[in-house]
Amino acid sequence: MIREGSFGPAEAVILLAISNIARFFLPYPRSLAEIGGTAAWLTLPGGLVIALAGVYVMSVILNKYPDKTIIEITEEVFGPVLGTVFNLVTFSFFLAVGALFTREFAEAMIITALPETPVSVVTVAFLAMGLAGAYLGIEALARTSRLSYLYVLGGIALLLLAMVPQCDLDNLFPLLGRGPLQIFGNGSLSTAAVTEIILAAVLVQAMGGAGKFRSIGFRAMLIAYGLGVALMVTLSMTVHYQSLAEFTLPFYTLARQIYLGRFFQRVEAVFVIIWSVAGALKIALTLYGATVSLTRLLKLPDYRPLLWPLGLVMFIISLLPPDMPASGRLDLIILRPFALIPNYLIPVLVLVFYWLRGRSRRAGS
Amino acid sequence: MMIAGRCGTINLKKLLQIISYQENLDTEGFVLKETMDEQQKTGKEDQGQAAADNKQKTGEEEQKTGADVRKEDGKVEQQAGKDGQKQVSGGGDEGAAGQNNKRRSRRSFRKPVPSSGTSAQKDAGDGRISASLEENRRVIARLYGLPENKDVIIRDFTINTVPPVRSFAVFIDGLTDKIIQDLLFQALMAFAGQASPPGGEKLVDLVKDRLLPGNQIMVTASFREFLDGVNYGGTALFLEGCGKVLLVETKGWEHRTVDRPQSEQTVNGPQEAFTETLRTNTALLRKLLKSEQLSTELLTVGSRIKTFVAVMYLRDLANPALVDEVKRRIEGIKVDYLADSGILEQFIEDHPYNLNPTVLATERPDRVASKIIEGKVAILVDGSPFILVVPSTMYEQLHTGEEVYRRWQFGTYIRYLRTLTFLASFLLPGLYISLVLFHHEMLPTELLLAIAGNRERVPFPSIMEVLMMEFALEFIREAGLRVPGIMGTTIGIVGALILGQAAVEANIVSPILVILVAVTGLASFAIPYYSLAFTTRIYRFIYIALGATLGFFGISIGLFIQVLLTSNLKSFGVPYLVPTGPRTSAGADVVTRLPVFFHESRPDYVNPQDATRAPKVSRTWLKRDRGERR
Repeated sequence: MIREGSFGPAEAVILLAISNIARFFLPYPRSLAEIGGTAAWLTLPGGLVIALAGVYVMSVILNKYPDKTIIEITEEVFGPVLGTVFNLVTFSFFLAVGALFTREFAEAMIITALPETPVSVVTVAFLAMGLAGAYLGIEALARTSRLSYLYVLGGIALLLLAMVPQCDLDNLFPLLGRGPLQIFGNGSLSTAAVTEIILAAVLVQAMGGAGKFRSIGFRAMLIAYGLGVALMVTLSMTVHYQSLAEFTLPFYTLARQIYLGRFFQRVEAVFVIIWSVAGALKIALTLYGATVSLTRLLKLPDYRPLLWPLGLVMFIISLLPPDMPASGRLDLIILRPFALIPNYLIPVLVLVFYWLRGRSRRAGS
Repeated sequence: MMIAGRCGTINLKKLLQIISYQENLDTEGFVLKETMDEQQKTGKEDQGQAAADNKQKTGEEEQKTGADVRKEDGKVEQQAGKDGQKQVSGGGDEGAAGQNNKRRSRRSFRKPVPSSGTSAQKDAGDGRISASLEENRRVIARLYGLPENKDVIIRDFTINTVPPVRSFAVFIDGLTDKIIQDLLFQALMAFAGQASPPGGEKLVDLVKDRLLPGNQIMVTASFREFLDGVNYGGTALFLEGCGKVLLVETKGWEHRTVDRPQSEQTVNGPQEAFTETLRTNTALLRKLLKSEQLSTELLTVGSRIKTFVAVMYLRDLANPALVDEVKRRIEGIKVDYLADSGILEQFIEDHPYNLNPTVLATERPDRVASKIIEGKVAILVDGSPFILVVPSTMYEQLHTGEEVYRRWQFGTYIRYLRTLTFLASFLLPGLYISLVLFHHEMLPTELLLAIAGNRERVPFPSIMEVLMMEFALEFIREAGLRVPGIMGTTIGIVGALILGQAAVEANIVSPILVILVAVTGLASFAIPYYSLAFTTRIYRFIYIALGATLGFFGISIGLFIQVLLTSNLKSFGVPYLVPTGPRTSAGADVVTRLPVFFHESRPDYVNPQDATRAPKVSRTWLKRDRGERR
């Protein structure tokens, strides 16, 4: 039995929400601008609906087995072989997200603040933060997110307010951008590719059990997607979507444009602190998720011995993409479709199998 | 050839002898045993020697008669007699009172109880008091190392009962109050006049209930309790024919009086501080918390030297589990001597490897009282003027009485100011280094040019400059603490003038850095809890290193890991960063201090037995009747 500690719903909501919005500090808004054009922000509400549905399905599954996490449930429903295969998919997803985010955040840091620092050094620094967070446990991570959320959200709010003078409402029109099919189809599927549903399902026992999962999940998604919409609207209004689609780090570009009088005109470096903290939280969470899912899969008593080897694996994988554009492409082409499998597909399959098994049992009796 | 060979061998041996180190055991009384082999070897030798010595001693003791002992002690008594005192130092016996004894011999004394001859060898731990004065005297002599030990006084006297009872008192000179002792002796020697019962329990009861005026008297038959009582300033009375001893409370050692706080001064509020005397400290707390629910439990720590540790709490408020945990931790300490509450803190804290202190130590009785009334537990160590309070959170370590005793607006303003100083105390130099080395685009052009102009003539890199100044500040701080008080101002002047102005004039540091380091130093001094200020002093150097290596990214690494480590801390089961991490009911007193009438509940993280501090309406004079003020 892994000793994970426990934390309250408020911490859980903040933890998942910060983990979700970390992607906005990366080239993610750019890809949304490419998909949706002027209506890039409209891809998020669609994604929110899918994410809420995902949370609901997951909560239904977790309520069937109130004292288990999704790893044990998958194994129980599908049996040891197929269950292990599905769980390995979940584990690989965490590992892939962690590695790719580490690389993307490292590249982002090099672009914004440390142009002459080797990527390996920044990657090691991010992974060191992640390892420290994962080692101290989910309880410490939840408290850290609870303590830092005011600064992260405050920083975002400050940025949005500072951008108000440069906003141009015309940039949001035409309202449906590249068409409803592109926005609500491709766009929504892209924005629905989150990590937090499956992460919450792995951490469910530390969050207070299955009973609280649904409300925590719903609130976290609403906060994260709400902030995402605000960010995307501001970005779209400040920078035309064609320019937005060319920026590597749109959030950084936004921060660079702050001009609050002669004294405060280059404050983007301050935002480095905010997004590196958000990035470190995300990396620590995915590393923790990967380690705990593997620990549960292997039925080990403690997850900590696996941290160092998995951190090393994550480091090696993160160095595989040759550069930032390649990392962005991997995110867009591989990671986002991949995210749909553990977050939505496997839970739906679990539910169907559970239902089928119940039906056959009832027929047998 | 053979001779030559032999000579060669001899010479080589001599040569080896000359160049080998040999301990000069003749001149040195003590030889340090350096290696394990030496220790084992000499240990065996010592044991053998000790065994032989013991054998010899026992033989000698067996040969020695009681008269011999009297002879030895008589010498000491004569010496004491010269001082005009009727005191016998060093375990004298009943026959050593010179002329007094002759006078006594005319009266009919109670028959001395024959000595069994074995109790003197008993260990004090399980030894029982004998009915024989002689035997008790011998045991005491052995226990206290008499007659060499001159602190312990054995005073023979006769209780003026009918028939008179021979007795002696044992106490440690300097630890007792002479006035109280004079009263005791007066009462027993001059004013007794009662018919004494044949002996044993009844005699003890008579002395205790009708003759002795002492305010605290304990009767015991154990030598262990006798030793504890006498070592703590008590006076022990041994009576002929009684297997029990009376321990009278006569503490009266020299001590510091209640003074103003040295490290936690405030403008408003009480100006008293704890002292080194345990009982004074408990009384200072009791003076503030006049409640029958206030409990003081006394524990002892130390296997060789016992130190009293008092645990104080309100029985109807403190969580019993917390009190039990405090006692469990204190009782679980195995150490020979506990010198101070700072050492106890290190023994009982949850996270000894983390920089942040998780126990609050304060010298202000009002502060401890305010914590006890919240349901917390105070730990007082005999001999320490700093009282520990558990559990403790980081927020309360940043609080002082200053903001509590003033109006809430001022209190809130001070709290926010202190939050800034707290952050500045460890972040400012690191941020400066980051700005200068990595993010100079953030600085407005004029400021950047000013900094660059100042730094132009400084030959050192920025990091060296910062480290030099920071270490200089640390030196000044440390020196300022160590030098005698009158020279403290000199240190300040030296620090300000030489290290500031002269360093700038010599182009060793830039003026802006002097300002920055001075502000950082001030910020550090503004942190009210010394241990927490120490924490920030060390963190500051970590942030300088991180800022110099990775700029703001380095600073964020430091912040993330510091928050992680700090949020992982617990103080007696209570998270260190409550009520923000984890989120609990914040109450009206975290950073923002709400008006005093909003302080309706106690901090819920302590789980007090009664969470309500005041009713919803604490200003009943504001009661409204149909919208009108009464």
